[in-house]
Amino acid sequence: MRAIVAKMLVGGPPLVFLLVFFAAPSMIMVLSSFRFPGEFGGLAPLAAPEGGTGGDYGLTAEAYQFFFSDVIYVEIFLKSFGIAMATTLICLVMAYPLALLIARSEKRFRNLLVLLVVLPFASNFLIRIYAWMIILGPESGFSHFVNAILGVFGIAPVTLLFSPFAVLVGMVYVHLPFMVLPLYTNLEKHDPSLLDAAQDLGATTWQRFWRVTWPLSLPGIFSGSALVFIPVLGMFAVPDILGGTGDILIGNLIKDQFLGTRDWPFGSALSIMLTLAVLSVAGLSTWVARSAMRHGQ
Amino acid sequence: MLALAALSAGCTAKGGNPAGSEKEKDVLYLFNWNNYLAPDSVRRFETACNCRLSQDYYSDNEEMLAKLAAGASGYDIIVPTGNALDTLLRQGALKPLDKSLLPNLRNINPAYLDTAFDPGNNYSVPYAFTLSLIGFNQEKLKELDLPTDTWALIFEPRYLEKIKGRVTVLDSQRELMAAALKYLGYSVNDASEEHWKQAAALIVRAKPYWAAFSNAGYIKELAKGNLWVAHGYSNDMFQAALDAKKTGRPFTVGYTVPKEGAVLALDSMVLHRSGRRPDLAHQFINFMLDGRNSAELTNLTGSGNPNEDAMRFIEPEIAANKAIFPDAELLGRLEMLRDLDRRQRRLLSRLWTEIKLR
Repeated sequence: MRAIVAKMLVGGPPLVFLLVFFAAPSMIMVLSSFRFPGEFGGLAPLAAPEGGTGGDYGLTAEAYQFFFSDVIYVEIFLKSFGIAMATTLICLVMAYPLALLIARSEKRFRNLLVLLVVLPFASNFLIRIYAWMIILGPESGFSHFVNAILGVFGIAPVTLLFSPFAVLVGMVYVHLPFMVLPLYTNLEKHDPSLLDAAQDLGATTWQRFWRVTWPLSLPGIFSGSALVFIPVLGMFAVPDILGGTGDILIGNLIKDQFLGTRDWPFGSALSIMLTLAVLSVAGLSTWVARSAMRHGQ
Repeated sequence: MLALAALSAGCTAKGGNPAGSEKEKDVLYLFNWNNYLAPDSVRRFETACNCRLSQDYYSDNEEMLAKLAAGASGYDIIVPTGNALDTLLRQGALKPLDKSLLPNLRNINPAYLDTAFDPGNNYSVPYAFTLSLIGFNQEKLKELDLPTDTWALIFEPRYLEKIKGRVTVLDSQRELMAAALKYLGYSVNDASEEHWKQAAALIVRAKPYWAAFSNAGYIKELAKGNLWVAHGYSNDMFQAALDAKKTGRPFTVGYTVPKEGAVLALDSMVLHRSGRRPDLAHQFINFMLDGRNSAELTNLTGSGNPNEDAMRFIEPEIAANKAIFPDAELLGRLEMLRDLDRRQRRLLSRLWTEIKLR
């Protein structure tokens, strides 16, 4: 009996949280994705108004038919997944050495170093993105430097701003701390005596990393990747500000449906498809993580 | 059940007063565009009416409509563009005007009255307008020997290859399509799918030469000389030209309406149903119809001015600008955007996605 009460006390709040902030909004989205768009935006009424003359009322799968009627929507999904994947990988490559460095540094410096990682959050996200507009702009020192180097190889001057490159830079910059923190939390807990033991048994530096540290850090890698991958997938501000003429992602498309196009059902349908895609990626990575850890043991 | 309740709440919300706990009685609530009323005019009106003017701002019509739909209320006056006026009217969200309280209405050039959105002007009074046109670096374009009075400048590869990467166009489905449709010789409100596809093909062909789709960033870049050509709004071009002049750049920013014609976005003052002070609202509208007050806005922002009486208060170099006071011949080439129905909106959105992706 007491065990059940304890379980409810521990599991209850998160469950309520999930119901109120995930399940209920998702249900609203599912419902609105099966309605007709209203003439002025919003949703068309479920039933015809009294004395109404026909028109479109009730439920429909029109939005989903429209989604599958053209290959471009699938293309946008694939492209967004590609960007999210690339951002995650770059973040991992950049964050891992940093997290390792912080975890291995002297204890009294660690908190300060972590503070430095999260310090950028103190200024507004949009301001930081606009700052990249200046850094990548055609007259910036950075642009001149890059073009001077590329000039040696005879590559014509390139513009950095308003390009897929700029979008990737912005995405990586914004999400890097989300990769560093879980990695650090994980790496910090590793028992240093394991590495000593490996050394005593004759392992080289590389072997100690690859056969001890890396497998133990997999949970950190997976949670960091999820924290980067999922928000990148829905991001619209970065491509809006830093992107060029071709940088449209799924987030931009959804935003467009709710503002300019005033097509809530299609926007909801797109966002449902995105949720499904994210859930399946999350499921897949959990499965991979579990089997990897089983393999590691 | 919860979900349904939440859904219907969105449609029937009765929001509070925009200023919340405002207790004063004599307050006029205005829901206006950013930077669309001169501070001097506000002061003079407040003295004249012995009341306070409270402004909330929006930066596009969709935002304004969305906020109203989400329950914002208590606004006496709103300043929507034509197609949003159409939406508000069809929603029944507006109160009719009492023209006997608006003697200054005679100052408005008749060309801006009796629009398709509100024939007879029973609900709306023209406030100011912008044109969608081409802004350019005058010296650079002369040097490259490029024409500046045609949409061909942003659509034809033979011109674009000289200015590759130095051009931006508006990041707006309707505006960019309107420019392309005009260039092809169609109306900006042409809704034939065939014509839309031709316009989209024209856009896709020109896209590799453009630096970006930009709705506001072009102002600064044009004034700094990084951009040579931009498709944008007349008041923004006014700003860019002013900035270039003030910072002493060795070039001037010019802007002209392409000969094929362009979009005219006429903003009108309307009375919202939820407003509580129609008396002050009429007083304000009549005040803004006064040439001096209307001119103040144009001198400040470079907005187009439908007020014939305003001309004598306008700085001479602005008064000579055809994008601010179009003559009858130019007016004949301008068109206002009308709202699309939901099926057309969905199709246009797909075309736009394709344009962006290709």
